Amino acid sequence: MSKKYDVIVIGAGPAGYVAAIRCAQLGMNTACIDRWVDSEGKGRLGGTCLNVGCIPSKALLESSEQYEHAGHALEQHGVRLKGRQLDLKAMMARKDRVVANLTQGIQGLFRANSVDWLKGEGQLSGQGRVRFTPHEGEAEELEAGHVILAPGSVPVELPSAPYDGTYVVDSSGALEFDKVPGRLGVIGAGVIGLELGSVWRRLGSEVVLLEAQETFLTFCDEQIAGEAQKIFTRQGLDIRLGARVKGSSVDRKKRKVVVEYEDGEGTHEERFDRLIVAVGRRPATDGLVAPEVELTLDERGMLHVDDYCETTLPGVYAVGDAVRGPMLAHKGSEEGIMVAERIAGQATEMHYDTIPNVIYTLPEVAWVGRTEQALRAAATPYNRGVFPFAASGRARAMEDTTGMVKILTHQETDRILGVHVIGPQASELIAQGVIAMEFEASGEDLARTVFAHPTLSEAVHEAALATLGRPIHMGKAR
Amino acid sequence: TTPALSPAVRKLVAEHDLDAADIEGTGKGGRILKEDVLRHVEERAGDG
Repeated sequence: MSKKYDVIVIGAGPAGYVAAIRCAQLGMNTACIDRWVDSEGKGRLGGTCLNVGCIPSKALLESSEQYEHAGHALEQHGVRLKGRQLDLKAMMARKDRVVANLTQGIQGLFRANSVDWLKGEGQLSGQGRVRFTPHEGEAEELEAGHVILAPGSVPVELPSAPYDGTYVVDSSGALEFDKVPGRLGVIGAGVIGLELGSVWRRLGSEVVLLEAQETFLTFCDEQIAGEAQKIFTRQGLDIRLGARVKGSSVDRKKRKVVVEYEDGEGTHEERFDRLIVAVGRRPATDGLVAPEVELTLDERGMLHVDDYCETTLPGVYAVGDAVRGPMLAHKGSEEGIMVAERIAGQATEMHYDTIPNVIYTLPEVAWVGRTEQALRAAATPYNRGVFPFAASGRARAMEDTTGMVKILTHQETDRILGVHVIGPQASELIAQGVIAMEFEASGEDLARTVFAHPTLSEAVHEAALATLGRPIHMGKAR
Repeated sequence: TTPALSPAVRKLVAEHDLDAADIEGTGKGGRILKEDVLRHVEERAGDG
Protein backbone atom coordinates (compact mmCIF):
# COMPACT_ATOMS: atom_id res chain seq x y z
CA MET A 1 0.00 0.00 0.00
CA SER A 2 1.29 3.44 -0.86
CA LYS A 3 1.86 6.09 1.74
CA LYS A 4 -0.95 8.64 2.11
CA TYR A 5 -0.83 12.29 3.13
CA ASP A 6 -3.51 14.97 3.47
CA VAL A 7 -1.32 17.33 1.46
CA ILE A 8 1.80 16.84 -0.64
CA VAL A 9 3.70 19.97 -1.63
CA ILE A 10 6.19 19.73 -4.50
CA GLY A 11 8.93 22.33 -4.05
CA ALA A 12 10.33 23.85 -0.84
CA GLY A 13 10.96 27.41 -1.98
CA PRO A 14 9.15 30.39 -0.41
CA ALA A 15 5.82 29.29 -1.90
CA GLY A 16 6.13 25.59 -1.13
CA TYR A 17 7.71 25.57 2.32
CA VAL A 18 5.30 28.23 3.59
CA ALA A 19 2.34 26.31 2.16
CA ALA A 20 3.60 23.15 3.87
CA ILE A 21 4.04 24.84 7.26
CA ARG A 22 0.60 26.46 7.06
CA CYS A 23 -1.02 23.14 6.10
CA ALA A 24 0.66 21.48 9.09
CA GLN A 25 -0.48 24.30 11.38
CA LEU A 26 -4.03 23.63 10.23
CA GLY A 27 -3.72 20.01 11.32
CA MET A 28 -3.05 18.37 7.98
CA ASN A 29 -0.61 15.51 7.60
CA THR A 30 1.84 17.16 5.18
CA ALA A 31 4.83 16.15 3.09
CA CYS A 32 7.09 18.49 1.13
CA ILE A 33 9.18 17.09 -1.73
CA ASP A 34 12.25 19.03 -2.79
CA ARG A 35 15.15 18.21 -5.09
CA TRP A 36 17.62 20.98 -4.17
CA VAL A 37 21.09 19.77 -3.18
CA ASP A 38 24.07 21.80 -1.98
CA SER A 39 27.65 21.52 -3.29
CA GLU A 40 28.16 18.44 -1.11
CA GLY A 41 25.06 16.72 -2.44
CA LYS A 42 23.01 17.26 0.70
CA GLY A 43 19.37 18.35 0.52
CA ARG A 44 18.67 22.04 1.07
CA LEU A 45 15.33 23.68 1.77
CA GLY A 46 14.44 27.24 0.78
CA GLY A 47 14.51 27.01 -3.00
CA THR A 48 15.85 29.75 -5.24
CA CYS A 49 15.17 32.59 -2.81
CA LEU A 50 17.25 31.25 0.04
CA ASN A 51 19.92 29.38 -1.89
CA VAL A 52 20.69 31.45 -4.98
CA GLY A 53 18.29 34.40 -4.94
CA CYS A 54 16.98 36.92 -2.45
CA ILE A 55 19.11 36.01 0.53
CA PRO A 56 22.62 35.55 -0.93
CA SER A 57 22.14 38.59 -3.19
CA LYS A 58 21.10 40.75 -0.23
CA ALA A 59 24.03 39.41 1.78
CA LEU A 60 26.43 40.53 -0.97
CA LEU A 61 24.60 43.82 -1.52
CA GLU A 62 25.03 44.58 2.18
CA SER A 63 28.71 43.59 2.28
CA SER A 64 29.55 45.47 -0.90
CA GLU A 65 27.72 48.52 0.41
CA GLN A 66 29.81 48.46 3.59
CA TYR A 67 32.92 48.22 1.44
CA GLU A 68 31.89 51.14 -0.73
CA HIS A 69 31.00 53.21 2.32
CA ALA A 70 34.40 52.60 3.81
CA GLY A 71 35.86 53.97 0.59
CA HIS A 72 34.73 57.59 0.57
CA ALA A 73 31.29 58.06 2.11
CA LEU A 74 32.75 57.97 5.61
CA GLU A 75 34.98 60.97 4.91
CA GLN A 76 31.90 63.17 4.79
CA HIS A 77 31.33 62.19 8.40
CA GLY A 78 34.90 63.07 9.32
CA VAL A 79 35.90 59.44 9.54
CA ARG A 80 39.18 58.64 7.83
CA LEU A 81 40.36 55.10 7.29
CA LYS A 82 43.95 54.32 6.51
CA GLY A 83 43.11 52.17 3.56
CA ARG A 84 40.69 49.36 2.98
CA GLN A 85 41.11 45.87 1.69
CA LEU A 86 38.67 43.54 0.07
CA ASP A 87 38.69 39.97 1.36
CA LEU A 88 36.33 38.49 -1.22
CA LYS A 89 36.76 35.00 0.17
CA ALA A 90 35.61 36.13 3.60
CA MET A 91 32.72 38.09 2.05
CA MET A 92 31.55 35.00 0.16
CA ALA A 93 32.00 32.81 3.23
CA ARG A 94 29.77 35.15 5.25
CA LYS A 95 27.12 34.98 2.52
CA ASP A 96 27.32 31.17 2.56
CA ARG A 97 26.94 31.15 6.36
CA VAL A 98 23.85 33.35 6.15
CA VAL A 99 22.34 31.01 3.57
CA ALA A 100 23.24 27.82 5.48
CA ASN A 101 21.83 29.25 8.66
CA LEU A 102 18.49 30.19 7.13
CA THR A 103 18.01 26.96 5.19
CA GLN A 104 18.70 25.01 8.41
CA GLY A 105 16.13 27.25 10.05
CA ILE A 106 13.46 25.98 7.67
CA GLN A 107 14.53 22.44 8.43
CA GLY A 108 13.90 23.25 12.09
CA LEU A 109 10.49 24.72 11.27
CA PHE A 110 9.56 21.58 9.31
CA ARG A 111 10.56 19.45 12.29
CA ALA A 112 8.64 21.66 14.74
CA ASN A 113 5.52 21.44 12.58
CA SER A 114 5.96 17.73 11.72
CA VAL A 115 6.23 18.33 7.97
CA ASP A 116 7.79 15.30 6.23
CA TRP A 117 10.74 16.48 4.11
CA LEU A 118 11.16 14.12 1.17
CA LYS A 119 14.46 14.66 -0.69
CA GLY A 120 14.19 13.99 -4.38
CA GLU A 121 12.02 14.58 -7.43
CA GLY A 122 8.26 14.88 -7.25
CA GLN A 123 5.94 14.38 -10.19
CA LEU A 124 2.18 14.76 -10.34
CA SER A 125 1.09 11.36 -11.63
CA GLY A 126 -2.66 11.79 -11.33
CA GLN A 127 -5.42 13.39 -9.31
CA GLY A 128 -4.27 12.93 -5.70
CA ARG A 129 -1.23 10.96 -6.78
CA VAL A 130 2.45 11.91 -6.70
CA ARG A 131 5.43 9.91 -7.88
CA PHE A 132 8.39 10.50 -5.58
CA THR A 133 11.89 9.59 -6.80
CA PRO A 134 14.34 10.00 -3.92
CA HIS A 135 17.95 11.08 -4.57
CA GLU A 136 18.89 7.64 -3.29
CA GLY A 137 16.61 4.64 -3.52
CA GLU A 138 13.52 3.46 -5.35
CA ALA A 139 10.74 5.61 -6.72
CA GLU A 140 7.39 5.28 -5.00
CA GLU A 141 3.79 6.35 -5.57
CA LEU A 142 2.30 8.56 -2.87
CA GLU A 143 -1.35 9.41 -2.31
CA ALA A 144 -2.58 12.82 -1.25
CA GLY A 145 -5.93 14.43 -0.55
CA HIS A 146 -4.53 17.60 -2.07
CA VAL A 147 -1.41 18.44 -4.05
CA ILE A 148 0.27 21.84 -4.12
CA LEU A 149 2.72 22.40 -6.98
CA ALA A 150 5.44 24.96 -6.19
CA PRO A 151 8.23 24.10 -8.63
CA GLY A 152 9.57 27.64 -8.93
CA SER A 153 11.57 29.09 -11.80
CA VAL A 154 14.98 28.98 -13.47
CA PRO A 155 16.97 31.64 -15.36
CA VAL A 156 16.09 32.05 -19.02
CA GLU A 157 18.91 31.08 -21.35
CA LEU A 158 19.69 33.45 -24.21
CA PRO A 159 20.52 31.64 -27.49
CA SER A 160 22.88 34.49 -28.37
CA ALA A 161 24.76 34.13 -25.07
CA PRO A 162 24.68 30.52 -23.88
CA TYR A 163 25.97 29.83 -20.37
CA ASP A 164 29.39 28.24 -20.08
CA GLY A 165 29.50 28.33 -16.29
CA THR A 166 32.73 30.32 -16.09
CA TYR A 167 32.68 33.35 -18.38
CA VAL A 168 28.98 33.50 -19.19
CA VAL A 169 26.90 32.88 -16.09
CA ASP A 170 23.37 33.20 -14.77
CA SER A 171 22.41 34.97 -11.54
CA SER A 172 23.58 32.02 -9.41
CA GLY A 173 27.03 32.07 -11.01
CA ALA A 174 27.21 35.84 -10.49
CA LEU A 175 26.97 35.26 -6.74
CA GLU A 176 30.01 32.97 -6.84
CA PHE A 177 32.78 34.85 -8.70
CA ASP A 178 36.10 34.06 -7.03
CA LYS A 179 37.60 37.39 -8.02
CA VAL A 180 36.26 40.79 -8.97
CA PRO A 181 35.90 40.97 -12.76
CA GLY A 182 37.77 43.92 -14.20
CA ARG A 183 35.09 44.49 -16.79
CA LEU A 184 31.66 42.99 -16.27
CA GLY A 185 28.85 42.80 -18.80
CA VAL A 186 25.25 42.29 -17.74
CA ILE A 187 22.56 41.45 -20.25
CA GLY A 188 19.28 42.78 -18.87
CA ALA A 189 18.87 45.93 -16.77
CA GLY A 190 15.96 44.61 -14.72
CA VAL A 191 15.87 43.99 -10.99
CA ILE A 192 18.35 41.10 -10.98
CA GLY A 193 20.77 42.71 -13.44
CA LEU A 194 20.81 45.99 -11.52
CA GLU A 195 21.35 44.32 -8.15
CA LEU A 196 24.16 42.04 -9.35
CA GLY A 197 25.70 44.86 -11.38
CA SER A 198 25.65 47.07 -8.26
CA VAL A 199 27.38 44.42 -6.12
CA TRP A 200 30.33 44.06 -8.49
CA ARG A 201 30.57 47.77 -9.33
CA ARG A 202 30.95 48.53 -5.62
CA LEU A 203 33.68 45.93 -5.36
CA GLY A 204 35.56 47.51 -8.27
CA SER A 205 34.19 46.17 -11.57
CA GLU A 206 33.56 48.40 -14.52
CA VAL A 207 29.95 47.41 -15.28
CA VAL A 208 28.09 47.69 -18.59
CA LEU A 209 24.38 46.78 -18.69
CA LEU A 210 22.89 45.92 -22.08
CA GLU A 211 19.11 46.29 -22.08
CA ALA A 212 16.98 45.45 -25.13
CA GLN A 213 14.08 47.69 -24.05
CA GLU A 214 14.21 51.33 -25.13
CA THR A 215 13.02 52.60 -21.74
CA PHE A 216 14.58 51.97 -18.34
CA LEU A 217 12.61 49.94 -15.75
CA THR A 218 9.41 50.00 -17.79
CA PHE A 219 7.35 48.42 -15.00
CA CYS A 220 8.33 51.22 -12.57
CA ASP A 221 6.68 54.60 -12.20
CA GLU A 222 8.30 56.65 -14.95
CA GLN A 223 9.39 59.51 -12.70
CA ILE A 224 11.05 57.07 -10.28
CA ALA A 225 12.64 55.17 -13.18
CA GLY A 226 14.03 58.42 -14.61
CA GLU A 227 15.50 59.34 -11.23
CA ALA A 228 16.94 55.84 -10.81
CA GLN A 229 18.60 55.93 -14.21
CA LYS A 230 20.23 59.28 -13.40
CA ILE A 231 21.52 58.07 -10.03
CA PHE A 232 22.78 54.67 -11.22
CA THR A 233 24.55 56.30 -14.17
CA ARG A 234 26.19 58.82 -11.84
CA GLN A 235 27.35 55.89 -9.67
CA GLY A 236 29.13 54.45 -12.67
CA LEU A 237 26.77 51.83 -14.07
CA ASP A 238 27.00 52.12 -17.84
CA ILE A 239 23.36 51.48 -18.83
CA ARG A 240 22.80 51.04 -22.57
CA LEU A 241 19.15 50.93 -23.63
CA GLY A 242 17.80 49.53 -26.87
CA ALA A 243 20.85 47.25 -27.01
CA ARG A 244 19.89 43.90 -28.52
CA VAL A 245 22.51 41.19 -28.10
CA LYS A 246 23.18 39.36 -31.38
CA GLY A 247 25.88 36.95 -30.38
CA SER A 248 28.75 36.21 -28.08
CA SER A 249 31.89 34.13 -28.01
CA VAL A 250 34.27 33.07 -25.29
CA ASP A 251 37.97 33.56 -25.96
CA ARG A 252 39.54 31.12 -23.49
CA LYS A 253 43.11 32.08 -24.33
CA LYS A 254 42.54 35.73 -23.59
CA ARG A 255 40.00 34.89 -20.88
CA LYS A 256 37.47 37.26 -22.34
CA VAL A 257 33.94 37.08 -23.59
CA VAL A 258 33.10 39.10 -26.67
CA VAL A 259 29.54 40.36 -27.04
CA GLU A 260 28.05 41.70 -30.21
CA TYR A 261 24.97 43.89 -29.96
CA GLU A 262 22.85 46.19 -32.07
CA ASP A 263 21.24 49.49 -31.21
CA GLY A 264 19.86 52.49 -33.09
CA GLU A 265 23.35 53.43 -34.19
CA GLY A 266 24.37 50.09 -35.57
CA THR A 267 26.38 47.07 -34.49
CA HIS A 268 28.86 47.19 -31.62
CA GLU A 269 31.32 44.83 -29.99
CA GLU A 270 32.31 44.75 -26.33
CA ARG A 271 34.86 42.66 -24.46
CA PHE A 272 34.23 41.61 -20.89
CA ASP A 273 36.01 39.49 -18.29
CA ARG A 274 32.68 38.04 -17.24
CA LEU A 275 29.15 38.19 -18.61
CA ILE A 276 25.98 37.81 -16.55
CA VAL A 277 22.79 36.94 -18.40
CA ALA A 278 19.81 38.27 -16.43
CA VAL A 279 17.04 38.54 -19.01
CA GLY A 280 14.33 36.84 -16.99
CA ARG A 281 13.14 33.60 -15.43
CA ARG A 282 10.84 30.85 -16.62
CA PRO A 283 8.70 28.28 -14.78
CA ALA A 284 10.66 25.15 -13.78
CA THR A 285 7.88 22.79 -14.79
CA ASP A 286 9.84 20.35 -16.98
CA GLY A 287 8.90 16.84 -15.89
CA LEU A 288 6.65 18.12 -13.11
CA VAL A 289 3.52 16.58 -14.53
CA ALA A 290 3.34 13.05 -15.94
CA PRO A 291 2.43 13.09 -19.67
CA GLU A 292 -0.87 11.26 -19.14
CA VAL A 293 -2.12 13.82 -16.60
CA GLU A 294 -4.42 16.42 -18.09
CA LEU A 295 -3.16 19.65 -16.62
CA THR A 296 -3.08 22.86 -18.61
CA LEU A 297 0.34 24.43 -19.12
CA ASP A 298 0.88 27.32 -21.49
CA GLU A 299 3.61 27.42 -24.14
CA ARG A 300 6.08 28.90 -21.63
CA GLY A 301 5.48 26.09 -19.15
CA MET A 302 3.32 28.24 -16.90
CA LEU A 303 0.70 26.32 -14.92
CA HIS A 304 -2.81 27.60 -15.54
CA VAL A 305 -4.67 28.53 -12.32
CA ASP A 306 -7.72 30.54 -11.25
CA ASP A 307 -7.75 33.45 -8.74
CA TYR A 308 -7.40 30.95 -5.89
CA CYS A 309 -4.46 29.07 -7.45
CA GLU A 310 -6.53 26.00 -8.27
CA THR A 311 -5.47 24.18 -11.45
CA THR A 312 -7.78 22.55 -13.96
CA LEU A 313 -7.51 19.32 -11.94
CA PRO A 314 -9.66 19.23 -8.76
CA GLY A 315 -7.58 19.14 -5.57
CA VAL A 316 -4.42 20.21 -7.39
CA TYR A 317 -3.12 23.71 -6.77
CA ALA A 318 -0.12 25.64 -8.05
CA VAL A 319 1.61 28.63 -6.45
CA GLY A 320 4.65 30.88 -6.85
CA ASP A 321 6.82 31.56 -9.89
CA ALA A 322 5.24 28.81 -12.01
CA VAL A 323 1.86 30.58 -12.10
CA ARG A 324 0.71 34.00 -13.36
CA GLY A 325 1.63 37.13 -11.46
CA PRO A 326 4.91 38.71 -10.39
CA MET A 327 7.83 36.35 -9.68
CA LEU A 328 8.38 37.47 -6.11
CA ALA A 329 9.04 35.40 -2.98
CA HIS A 330 6.36 37.12 -0.91
CA LYS A 331 3.80 36.63 -3.67
CA GLY A 332 4.48 32.88 -3.67
CA SER A 333 4.40 32.63 0.10
CA GLU A 334 1.05 34.39 0.39
CA GLU A 335 -0.38 32.18 -2.34
CA GLY A 336 0.87 29.19 -0.35
CA ILE A 337 -0.96 30.43 2.73
CA MET A 338 -4.12 31.16 0.74
CA VAL A 339 -4.15 27.65 -0.74
CA ALA A 340 -3.46 25.95 2.62
CA GLU A 341 -6.30 27.86 4.26
CA ARG A 342 -8.71 27.22 1.40
CA ILE A 343 -7.94 23.49 1.60
CA ALA A 344 -8.84 23.77 5.29
CA GLY A 345 -12.17 25.30 4.31
CA GLN A 346 -11.41 28.95 4.97
CA ALA A 347 -12.47 31.70 2.54
CA THR A 348 -9.03 33.27 2.26
CA GLU A 349 -8.40 35.63 -0.65
CA MET A 350 -5.29 37.35 -1.79
CA HIS A 351 -4.86 40.97 -2.83
CA TYR A 352 -2.75 40.96 -5.95
CA ASP A 353 -3.08 44.76 -6.19
CA THR A 354 -1.10 45.42 -3.04
CA ILE A 355 2.01 43.29 -3.59
CA PRO A 356 5.10 45.43 -2.98
CA ASN A 357 8.10 45.40 -5.33
CA VAL A 358 11.64 46.19 -4.25
CA ILE A 359 14.96 46.70 -6.02
CA TYR A 360 17.77 46.47 -3.45
CA THR A 361 20.17 48.87 -5.09
CA LEU A 362 21.45 51.98 -3.34
CA PRO A 363 19.28 53.96 -3.26
CA GLU A 364 16.64 51.28 -3.02
CA VAL A 365 13.57 51.44 -5.21
CA ALA A 366 10.21 50.18 -3.94
CA TRP A 367 6.63 50.55 -4.97
CA VAL A 368 3.10 49.27 -4.55
CA GLY A 369 -0.04 49.82 -6.59
CA ARG A 370 -0.42 51.80 -9.77
CA THR A 371 2.13 53.92 -11.59
CA GLU A 372 1.41 57.41 -12.84
CA GLN A 373 1.61 56.29 -16.47
CA ALA A 374 -0.89 53.48 -15.79
CA LEU A 375 -3.35 55.92 -14.21
CA ARG A 376 -2.96 58.26 -17.16
CA ALA A 377 -3.53 55.42 -19.62
CA ALA A 378 -6.68 54.39 -17.75
CA ALA A 379 -7.82 58.04 -17.65
CA THR A 380 -8.17 57.85 -13.86
CA PRO A 381 -8.21 61.33 -12.32
CA TYR A 382 -5.47 61.46 -9.68
CA ASN A 383 -3.52 63.68 -7.35
CA ARG A 384 0.22 63.39 -6.97
CA GLY A 385 2.26 64.15 -3.88
CA VAL A 386 6.05 64.09 -4.01
CA PHE A 387 8.49 64.70 -1.20
CA PRO A 388 12.27 64.61 -1.77
CA PHE A 389 14.61 63.12 0.84
CA ALA A 390 16.76 66.22 0.37
CA ALA A 391 14.15 67.99 2.53
CA SER A 392 14.18 65.28 5.22
CA GLY A 393 16.09 66.12 8.40
CA ARG A 394 16.79 62.48 9.09
CA ALA A 395 18.11 61.87 5.57
CA ARG A 396 20.37 64.93 5.96
CA ALA A 397 21.72 63.59 9.24
CA MET A 398 22.37 60.27 7.51
CA GLU A 399 24.09 62.02 4.58
CA ASP A 400 21.73 60.05 2.33
CA THR A 401 19.47 62.51 0.56
CA THR A 402 18.90 61.05 -2.89
CA GLY A 403 15.41 60.14 -4.03
CA MET A 404 11.84 60.82 -3.04
CA VAL A 405 8.52 59.43 -1.90
CA LYS A 406 5.63 59.76 -4.30
CA ILE A 407 2.00 59.03 -3.48
CA LEU A 408 -0.83 58.88 -6.00
CA THR A 409 -4.43 59.24 -4.85
CA HIS A 410 -7.80 59.25 -6.58
CA GLN A 411 -8.90 62.79 -7.26
CA GLU A 412 -12.50 62.19 -6.18
CA THR A 413 -12.33 59.58 -3.41
CA ASP A 414 -8.82 60.45 -2.13
CA ARG A 415 -8.10 56.72 -1.99
CA ILE A 416 -4.40 55.83 -2.25
CA LEU A 417 -3.73 54.19 -5.63
CA GLY A 418 0.04 53.88 -5.59
CA VAL A 419 3.10 54.57 -3.46
CA HIS A 420 6.56 54.84 -5.01
CA VAL A 421 9.83 55.30 -3.19
CA ILE A 422 13.40 55.73 -4.34
CA GLY A 423 15.83 56.44 -1.55
CA PRO A 424 17.24 55.20 1.73
CA GLN A 425 15.41 52.18 3.17
CA ALA A 426 12.71 52.30 0.52
CA SER A 427 12.25 48.55 1.06
CA GLU A 428 11.12 49.23 4.63
CA LEU A 429 9.22 52.44 3.94
CA ILE A 430 7.04 50.78 1.30
CA ALA A 431 5.37 48.62 3.97
CA GLN A 432 3.58 51.75 5.14
CA GLY A 433 2.10 52.19 1.70
CA VAL A 434 1.11 48.52 1.55
CA ILE A 435 -0.67 48.67 4.92
CA ALA A 436 -2.39 51.91 4.00
CA MET A 437 -3.62 50.42 0.72
CA GLU A 438 -4.74 47.21 2.46
CA PHE A 439 -6.93 49.33 4.73
CA GLU A 440 -8.17 51.23 1.69
CA ALA A 441 -6.80 54.38 3.27
CA SER A 442 -7.06 57.84 1.77
CA GLY A 443 -4.24 60.31 1.29
CA GLU A 444 -5.68 62.29 4.16
CA ASP A 445 -5.55 59.21 6.41
CA LEU A 446 -1.78 59.15 6.09
CA ALA A 447 -1.60 62.93 6.29
CA ARG A 448 -3.46 62.87 9.62
CA THR A 449 -1.31 60.15 11.16
CA VAL A 450 1.49 61.02 13.59
CA PHE A 451 4.94 60.07 12.29
CA ALA A 452 7.98 60.07 14.58
CA HIS A 453 10.53 62.83 14.14
CA PRO A 454 13.17 62.67 12.89
CA THR A 455 12.59 59.55 10.72
CA LEU A 456 12.70 58.73 7.03
CA SER A 457 9.02 57.79 7.34
CA GLU A 458 8.20 61.47 7.62
CA ALA A 459 8.78 61.63 3.87
CA VAL A 460 5.73 59.35 3.48
CA HIS A 461 3.75 61.74 5.69
CA GLU A 462 4.85 64.79 3.73
CA ALA A 463 4.15 63.11 0.38
CA ALA A 464 0.63 62.36 1.65
CA LEU A 465 0.28 66.00 2.70
CA ALA A 466 1.53 66.97 -0.74
CA THR A 467 -1.30 65.00 -2.42
CA LEU A 468 -3.60 67.42 -0.58
CA GLY A 469 -1.50 70.37 -1.71
CA ARG A 470 -0.24 71.26 1.76
CA PRO A 471 3.15 69.79 2.62
CA ILE A 472 4.69 71.61 5.59
CA HIS A 473 8.37 71.20 4.80
CA MET A 474 8.34 72.06 1.12
CA GLY A 475 7.49 75.22 -0.76
CA LYS A 476 4.93 75.20 -3.54
CA ALA A 477 6.35 74.23 -6.89
CA ARG A 478 6.14 77.22 -9.19
CA THR B 1 -20.52 49.96 19.39
CA THR B 2 -18.62 52.62 17.50
CA PRO B 3 -17.02 51.41 14.28
CA ALA B 4 -13.29 51.85 13.82
CA LEU B 5 -12.60 55.07 11.98
CA SER B 6 -9.55 56.12 10.06
CA PRO B 7 -8.06 59.54 10.84
CA ALA B 8 -9.61 61.15 7.76
CA VAL B 9 -13.03 59.64 8.48
CA ARG B 10 -12.89 60.69 12.12
CA LYS B 11 -12.16 64.21 11.01
CA LEU B 12 -14.94 64.27 8.43
CA VAL B 13 -17.51 62.79 10.85
CA ALA B 14 -16.66 65.41 13.42
CA GLU B 15 -16.71 68.19 10.86
CA HIS B 16 -20.20 67.35 9.60
CA ASP B 17 -21.42 66.43 13.07
CA LEU B 18 -22.46 62.95 11.95
CA ASP B 19 -23.20 59.76 13.85
CA ALA B 20 -20.91 57.12 12.44
CA ALA B 21 -23.57 54.46 13.13
CA ASP B 22 -25.74 56.03 10.37
CA ILE B 23 -23.09 55.59 7.69
CA GLU B 24 -22.86 52.46 5.58
CA GLY B 25 -19.26 51.27 5.46
CA THR B 26 -18.01 49.64 2.26
CA GLY B 27 -14.44 49.00 3.41
CA LYS B 28 -12.80 45.86 4.78
CA GLY B 29 -15.08 44.25 7.36
CA GLY B 30 -17.66 47.01 6.94
CA ARG B 31 -15.16 49.71 7.79
CA ILE B 32 -16.29 53.21 6.94
CA LEU B 33 -14.13 54.80 4.29
CA LYS B 34 -13.69 58.46 3.66
CA GLU B 35 -15.59 58.05 0.41
CA ASP B 36 -18.55 56.51 2.31
CA VAL B 37 -18.80 59.62 4.47
CA LEU B 38 -18.60 61.86 1.41
CA ARG B 39 -21.39 59.87 -0.28
CA HIS B 40 -23.46 60.01 2.92
CA VAL B 41 -23.01 63.76 3.16
CA GLU B 42 -23.93 64.21 -0.49
CA GLU B 43 -27.06 62.05 -0.22
CA ARG B 44 -28.14 63.92 2.90
CA ALA B 45 -27.64 67.24 1.13
CA GLY B 46 -29.72 65.93 -1.79
CA ASP B 47 -32.52 64.91 0.61
CA GLY B 48 -32.54 68.31 2.29
